[in-house]
Amino acid sequence: MLKNFNWKSALYILVIAFILLYPWLGASSYNKHLFILFFIWSIVAANWNLMMGYAGINSLGNIGFMAIGGYTAGILAKSFGIPPLLTVPIAGLVTSLVVTLALGLPALRLSGIYIALLTLIFADTLPSLLTQTREITGGAMGLHEIPPFYPGMDKTGAYYICFVFFLIVLGIIYRVIHSPTGMAFVALRDSENFAYCLGVNKFRERLKVFALSSLLTGAAGGMYVHALGDISPTTLGIEPFLLTIAMIELGGVGTFFGPILGAAVIVFGNEFLRLAGTLRLTLLGALICTIILFYPGGVIQLFHSLEHQIERLLKRKPSTS
Amino acid sequence: MENFVNALVSGLISGSLYAAMALGLTIIYGVSRVFNFGHGVIAVIGAYFTWYLLSNFGVPFLLATLLSMAFMALFGWLLYRFTINPLLKKPNWEFSTVLFMLGAGILLENVVLQIFGPRVKSIPLLAEGALKVAFIQINWHEILLIVIVLVAILALSLFFKYTRTGQAMRAVAQSVPGAQVVGINIEQIFGMTFALAFVVTGFSGILLGTKYYLNPHIGWEWMVKGFVIVTFGGLGSTSGAVVAALILGLVEAVATLYLGAIWVWPIWFVLFLIVLLLRPQGILGGRA
Repeated sequence: MLKNFNWKSALYILVIAFILLYPWLGASSYNKHLFILFFIWSIVAANWNLMMGYAGINSLGNIGFMAIGGYTAGILAKSFGIPPLLTVPIAGLVTSLVVTLALGLPALRLSGIYIALLTLIFADTLPSLLTQTREITGGAMGLHEIPPFYPGMDKTGAYYICFVFFLIVLGIIYRVIHSPTGMAFVALRDSENFAYCLGVNKFRERLKVFALSSLLTGAAGGMYVHALGDISPTTLGIEPFLLTIAMIELGGVGTFFGPILGAAVIVFGNEFLRLAGTLRLTLLGALICTIILFYPGGVIQLFHSLEHQIERLLKRKPSTS
Repeated sequence: MENFVNALVSGLISGSLYAAMALGLTIIYGVSRVFNFGHGVIAVIGAYFTWYLLSNFGVPFLLATLLSMAFMALFGWLLYRFTINPLLKKPNWEFSTVLFMLGAGILLENVVLQIFGPRVKSIPLLAEGALKVAFIQINWHEILLIVIVLVAILALSLFFKYTRTGQAMRAVAQSVPGAQVVGINIEQIFGMTFALAFVVTGFSGILLGTKYYLNPHIGWEWMVKGFVIVTFGGLGSTSGAVVAALILGLVEAVATLYLGAIWVWPIWFVLFLIVLLLRPQGILGGRA
């Protein structure tokens, strides 16, 4: 443990300690709200990145997965009175089951563009489906007053619960990336034929990631409704979709910390974007285009070069002493 | 019976418009393997440009259409030259072009919104009156639309078959290295393909704008329908797209008649899934 201890682990511990102590350092209710959004959206972005950046599954429907989870948890808690401790995992399982059967199985055998098409069309169908089933889903108005995690929960409670969920999910994603499945994708990326010769089954590995990632995204949807109390078809709209894409692209596709960093920038920076008013979507579109064209590595690349600088500085010290 | 025949006729009309709209998508994909996720807004831009010329300058319809097609060709070429071309050189080009065109689509859609405002626009009808045969009634305008689409499809297929550029595009679609071996300039052909596809797409936008209403966001609806059509017909297959558009147009009309308009999209989606499961290369596509 101590052997691996370096300035990076110190940084992680500092960040985690700050987040843990933040509600005690006089955080306003609004700032806590922003942090809750950050926890949830970074989970959605990290799972999307697991599909897109690691497994090469070009999904465009992850916001739809989140909405399925959110509605499942919301309806279960509101209409059937099931405690949130159960609705969140159920929401994840339902999402994973529906999405894997309806989208993963038909499209994952085909080339990349089909999954993009199918998931986009699927996500596009959901809002009209929701407005059709008004009795259960509340139609265009959405679901309101969804029970919180425990009765009388305040923002601080939601903050800590979401933070724990955030750490658990990131832990799972980290394990997946470094598991044989994650290694299989590295092999597939570096040399597809060689990976096949080693016995990697691309379809099966991708299906595993698809199922897991949609499960966690659906669970994040469940967390979202219990933490914030409502969900409506606008949650599925074009803006959250673009914002999440921007998080992943801005942070850095195919890196572990990229989407988290991107989520932090976008969630806290979105307040500035709000000033732009009706120009907001124009700016978002321009932002996505600019990143893809000119900075495909994302912000994480900046950090990597910074890391090299620091490591060089640290290495120099022992040689001089 | 009367209703059914009338539904078939209206299905034929919307089907042919969908065919025109899907052609641009399938041309780009067939030649360059770029899937244009900003397709809808391209059609909208073509339609708005024509609408602007018609209503603000009183340009005659034919001239306005020609000017807008010239504009679309330039637009397509520039977009290819300065954005898609550098992206195609990157390792992850397939999905980065998808995301890029999505972002560009949103950007352009909102630029159109900023310039022209959210109010609904429409391009005037091409002809007044209606043709009546027994109990069937078709507007002259709609007959004209079908004729225009047919002529356009014929012209496109002649272009692909007999002109040197068209043949070169087909060669690139079949095999890029093969085309390079016989001395075809791939980048030039890609640029021309984008120009051609944008012209076709803009033109279809004009036709759609005369039949339906026009607003900055309508492109998404058109595009998602186009996605189903091109996948149904086989990605990259032009004849497949036309056949698929007619089939889906008829399905839409019949479903609207017997079940109501809200069922159209679920039925399309299920048909789409079935085709994807049983025949992923599409009804007329050659390869998966």
